[in-house]
Amino acid sequence: MLAGRVIVVTGGGTGIGRAIALGLEDAHATVTSVDGDFASRADAEAALAGAREATGPLDAVVHAVVDPAALTTEALVETAAADWDRRCEAILRAALHCCQAARRELSGRGGRLVLVTPTIALTGAAGLVPYATAVEGMRAMAKSAARQWGDQGITVNCVAPPVELMAPEHAAAPPGLALTERPLGRDPDARADVAPVVALLIADPGHFVTGATIPVDGGIVMAP
Amino acid sequence: MTGSLADRSILVTGAGRGLGRGVALACAAAGADIVVASPGENGAETVAEIEAHGGSGGWARCDATVAADVEGAVAAAIRRSGHLDAVIHNATSRRSSEPVRLDDVDEALWDEHASVSLRGAYHCAQAALAQLRARRGRFILMTSPAGIEGSAMLPVYATVKGALRGFAKSLAREWAPFGVTVNAVSPLAETPAMTSAYEKDPTLEARLARVVPMGHLGDPETEIGPAIVFLAGDGAGFITGQTLAVDGGRFMTL
Repeated sequence: MLAGRVIVVTGGGTGIGRAIALGLEDAHATVTSVDGDFASRADAEAALAGAREATGPLDAVVHAVVDPAALTTEALVETAAADWDRRCEAILRAALHCCQAARRELSGRGGRLVLVTPTIALTGAAGLVPYATAVEGMRAMAKSAARQWGDQGITVNCVAPPVELMAPEHAAAPPGLALTERPLGRDPDARADVAPVVALLIADPGHFVTGATIPVDGGIVMAP
Repeated sequence: MTGSLADRSILVTGAGRGLGRGVALACAAAGADIVVASPGENGAETVAEIEAHGGSGGWARCDATVAADVEGAVAAAIRRSGHLDAVIHNATSRRSSEPVRLDDVDEALWDEHASVSLRGAYHCAQAALAQLRARRGRFILMTSPAGIEGSAMLPVYATVKGALRGFAKSLAREWAPFGVTVNAVSPLAETPAMTSAYEKDPTLEARLARVVPMGHLGDPETEIGPAIVFLAGDGAGFITGQTLAVDGGRFMTL
């Protein structure tokens, strides 16, 4: 499905990023994983430029970086200012920097940008106010980028797995995040279940989808 | 004062002008005592307007990006009324209506938006929970159609307004056991910020009118404010985690 496509996955070294990178390779893409916190625009641009130098011009960027600290469950009123920044605003800054760096790489040739935004963006989650705030903001950022860059042939979409999959080790998901209802009857697998939807958005048939969020959670969230 | 919000105490951030002023006037007209939280002297002008209409309120000099200022505004409500029933986080960056390409967003512009909208919401929640809990109160955040469907012109504004919906939904779950509701309101209002956006883009007003089924933007006091009065009042205690669009039908796909 993705033979000849050159893709960068941010956060591709661990957790869901790694699983998505492997899944895209399963679909025969050329994948580079880059890590780091994307705390500055220069970091993000250097990471993507480094990948381009290694594998050639990029066709797509998948932003799957997540600071595991974002998954800390804590009441908002107990959350210290530094933790608010790390779990919310830093996540948004990293996404902004990734979007900016991705556009620079994709400029003039079109391409695809996919952000991983867990379904807590849609549903909200007690104890995870900062991270849910960040990921709902990422969805609005993706829609805005999709509107701004459509005339450059760049699509921007979000793929929404259950938040449990964002933990570095899925089995070690923090308490309180457990699935409650599973219409498809099992836990999702990032490589087998999520990566193919990312691949679909990057492959040719996905070319007219932009600004969308696709939940990939086995039917738990059926929001409009 | 009589009215659906009689004996309520309501704090409105960014109430020195525009939408926040209109919301403050509407809540005051419904009988609430208003803490007009505003970093500038225009807060006193809003209070004068409230009083001219027979309402009551006081100005608290408050920059929502500063935790101590927000704590001070909550303390002002307690000094005035002895309690706090609702917080309306309406403040937004002065650069909200400045069109920008994502490529040109620098750290300073980003922080303008994030500090007022997001850190401001965090400060309001931290400062107000104990008081709101005591009154089974209401926490209301101003989002925007841009936050729901994105915006090519205002991508950072859209991002932080969208983020506030995530904040509202999550905090609604967190505070529901306390009887405190948390909702978002998505207005499309005629405000000084919109007027300034029209000046930068002369075609905007006509284009907007075409995509708003009601054909015009809402008046802050008479068309947007009453929705806030409802959410802050007795009849809305079982509504939480929602986004109430008060936008003339601009967005119907929620």
